[in-house]
Amino acid sequence: MTHCDRRGFLGALSGIGVAAFGPRDCAAARDLPIQDPQGHADLKWDKAPCRYCGTGCGVEVGVKDGKVMAVRGDAASPVNQGLLCVKGYHLPAMLYGKDRLQYPMLRKDGKLERISWEQAIATIAERFGQALADKGPDGVAVYGSGQWTVFDGYAALKWVKGGMKSNNLDPNARLCMASAVMGFMTQFQSDEPMGCYEDLDVGQDFFLWGNNMAEMHPVLFSRMLENKRRNPGVRIVDIATRRTPTSDYADLYVEFEPGSDLALANGILHLLVAKGKVAESFVTENCVFKRGIEDLDKIGYGCFGEQAEKYTFADETKDATREDFVKFLADYTPEKVAAITGVPVQQIQALADMYGDAERRAVSMWCMGVNQHTRGTWMNNLITDIHLLTGKISRPGNNPFSLTGQPSACGTVREVGTLANRLPADMVVNNPEHRAKAEKLWGLQEGTINPKPGHHAVDMFRAFQRGDVVAMWIQTTNPWVTMPNLHRFDRKPGDGRFLVVSDIYPTPTTDVADLILPSAAWVEREGVFGNTERRTQQWNKMVEPPGEAREDAWQIVQVAKRMGMGNLFPWPEGDWHEPMFEEYRKFTLGIGKDLASYAELKSTRGMLWPVVDGKETRYRYAAGFDPYVKKAAGVHFYKAKGYGEKAAIWLRPYHPPAEVPDAQYPFWLCTGRVLEHWHTGSMTRRVKQLHQAAPRAYVEINRADATRLGIKTGDKVRLVSRRGKLELPAMVDGRGKPPAGSVFVPFFDEGLLVNRLTLDAMDNISKEPDYKKCAVAVERA
Amino acid sequence: MNARILAAFLLLAACGDDSQKTAVPGVPGAVKTLASVRAERRLFDGAPPVIPHHDFGADCISCHTTAGMSVPQFGFAPPAPHDPEQLQGAMSRCRMCHVFASKEPAFADNDFVGLRQDLRAGKRLNDLAPPVIPHQTLLRENCMACHTGPAAREEIRCPHPERERCVQCHLPQQTTGEFSR
Ligand code: SF4
Repeated sequence: MTHCDRRGFLGALSGIGVAAFGPRDCAAARDLPIQDPQGHADLKWDKAPCRYCGTGCGVEVGVKDGKVMAVRGDAASPVNQGLLCVKGYHLPAMLYGKDRLQYPMLRKDGKLERISWEQAIATIAERFGQALADKGPDGVAVYGSGQWTVFDGYAALKWVKGGMKSNNLDPNARLCMASAVMGFMTQFQSDEPMGCYEDLDVGQDFFLWGNNMAEMHPVLFSRMLENKRRNPGVRIVDIATRRTPTSDYADLYVEFEPGSDLALANGILHLLVAKGKVAESFVTENCVFKRGIEDLDKIGYGCFGEQAEKYTFADETKDATREDFVKFLADYTPEKVAAITGVPVQQIQALADMYGDAERRAVSMWCMGVNQHTRGTWMNNLITDIHLLTGKISRPGNNPFSLTGQPSACGTVREVGTLANRLPADMVVNNPEHRAKAEKLWGLQEGTINPKPGHHAVDMFRAFQRGDVVAMWIQTTNPWVTMPNLHRFDRKPGDGRFLVVSDIYPTPTTDVADLILPSAAWVEREGVFGNTERRTQQWNKMVEPPGEAREDAWQIVQVAKRMGMGNLFPWPEGDWHEPMFEEYRKFTLGIGKDLASYAELKSTRGMLWPVVDGKETRYRYAAGFDPYVKKAAGVHFYKAKGYGEKAAIWLRPYHPPAEVPDAQYPFWLCTGRVLEHWHTGSMTRRVKQLHQAAPRAYVEINRADATRLGIKTGDKVRLVSRRGKLELPAMVDGRGKPPAGSVFVPFFDEGLLVNRLTLDAMDNISKEPDYKKCAVAVERA
Repeated sequence: MNARILAAFLLLAACGDDSQKTAVPGVPGAVKTLASVRAERRLFDGAPPVIPHHDFGADCISCHTTAGMSVPQFGFAPPAPHDPEQLQGAMSRCRMCHVFASKEPAFADNDFVGLRQDLRAGKRLNDLAPPVIPHQTLLRENCMACHTGPAAREEIRCPHPERERCVQCHLPQQTTGEFSR
């Protein structure tokens, strides 16, 4: 008896009369080889966080004969409990693209020539030294990454700020997280969310603000769906400007006019006040009211229009009262808000009712839609305002939770402080006490650290183009794909300025580099990442990098030593990771940002800071969870010293976007990511399965518009903005469905650069560009 | 391509007769066994298989039901091996892990050599004892999906699928070490 033809299956087959399976089929199958020398048996498995997104899933990496041969979801990781997304499962192939950069290369007479590390380090040290001599600390710049490990970021910070006395250090995370940073800083005077991923398991109402979580944070999304399966009362609200795979799982889809989310959030606040849904005692005890500059003329839109070359804006923090707040909100009646946002009054009311229901827990999540916004900091403020006003914060399942895109945007950029104005652990360069603390911990002379903030990302590239910055080093990122309005940065090497790029594959950025350094990737080196939920995760080096590739931190340390700044990195060559981490960790201790020790990180699947006495903190500011809260119950926003240890509710008005569709450019253009590719695709496109599933960029267009313009899926379409043109294939009713009058293009494709169309308007406070809204014309190509 | 060959192509892993084996381009006389079809559809053993058919625009579970289903013109759509409950929750978005295959040329060549499947019998205490489960059971909670039905390969086909509760007798191997105090 064979079991090919078990009843159930055979029944199903014979009923419709297709290929049935008989005994002969099985006889053939029995001959298959079953032993394979590439077997599982002698693989060595070790833990690491995923290389890609800010979720920080735990993976186990299987190594044999010096090669990574497999990964599997780490069942012991509290982040993902064994599940990964398609990118995570395909991690190993990312390391083995044939075109990995393996040797340092210098451009001579336009051609790249292999050089030794010795020559490379000497050249960089000389060019940076020359730049410092000629132009002072403003003449050099380092552009880093939220994919930097803590070591890379810390080495860069110490070299730039402690060694070269410059503050021209800024990361690509400026393009994605800066608004969230400023949101948390302006409200709690301490960065990063109070909640953790457990919020996804125990929350009841989830509000996704402009956030295609199903594709961008798939494992977190699945955790929320599992909660919904177990607790059918869970509700998911997708507040968005286009339908995405996330919308398919939402109980309520709320579509707003691009940029009008500011009005929608104010409309919700208005109703919460009007309907008496304010958590009065919570607000009185724990909150203050603040307002800043609200005048559109004074604020403008960043490096855009008349202010394109030089944009400066500093917000003011003014005291406000509860009465001011109520008066301010009077403007945002449901009818008015409906007119601005296009959201029906009933939906605005439904949102307010859900947020205002004291019996239910609420989690708001957001990512790029809110952050890449000309008023991104304001929008962060308004979402958190809703949680403060209703007291739904710092409790399991009750939190505003900003999601990060990069694996260590939190751990490296935000915590180490690799930003133009920052020092580690929430400190800033323009505060004398903060500088003094850093100088003391680094054993530097008083007055070493420059008090003037450096160039933020967009400004840094402008300064390089202008020739104010003459030596720049880019690591682990690909700005010649990701910068907005790319035309501004067109470059031919050999223009007298010096650009060093460290990466693992050739990219449009290495194409314009004068010197290319090959980097070790992921488990080819030891590392630490910090994910979205404040979890610091360590991994060991598991395999050798190809050729002469070396880790980014090592590259920086070598150059610093060559420039005579070796005192900053006093550790022995072979054993510097742990001592470097422990030095950095001193910045975090005793102030509510306490990181776990290196030993603890090595032996756990990461820990949520603050870690005190070996215990992690799931909910910051909450009695019973956070060791810094001494109260018996409730919350204590102890980091907000400047606000009397209370959180700030900000009054933030609606301002229209920088550019809106008109007769000549009648469509909205929104840009973003796809599930399969991570950022600019420099890693994921080298994995066949991922590349084949999403081989090139496309433009999503609404069916009504497509019909009107005679466009079908696959047709060539030309997009024209005030800045450039781009031809790419159309996608009608694909995975994303923009509303009529709106198109969407993913940015991963270096062959179809949508950032030639985007504009460089930016958030006034965070200086984060708005990639989500500009105006384009759409025509058949 | 006749329907029968197409059907064979679309099976995740199935029995086959000679007519269902396909030639290997460039290797005279060689035929693809279904083990190699299985291997071709994933980066390494343990990686989620790609979707070998085009997008029908339907929900995956309309064909890949908990028992699997035969689809006219295409063949047997096997069930997912995942925990049926989680398929309604954590794993309800299939395309989070499974993406469509296509014939697109590679963006860049790749030297990755992945772990291959290593079918091996689970150890038994004695000849009559039930074998232990020799692989991880994470994401493979539904034993029936691979060990029964037309999608099951002969070597791993279960002789008694009517005894539904597999783990009552077959224990997942958690460790290769021995117990010691
Ligand atoms: S890309 Fe993000 S969601 Fe996917 S496995 Fe990696 S960390 Fe997890």
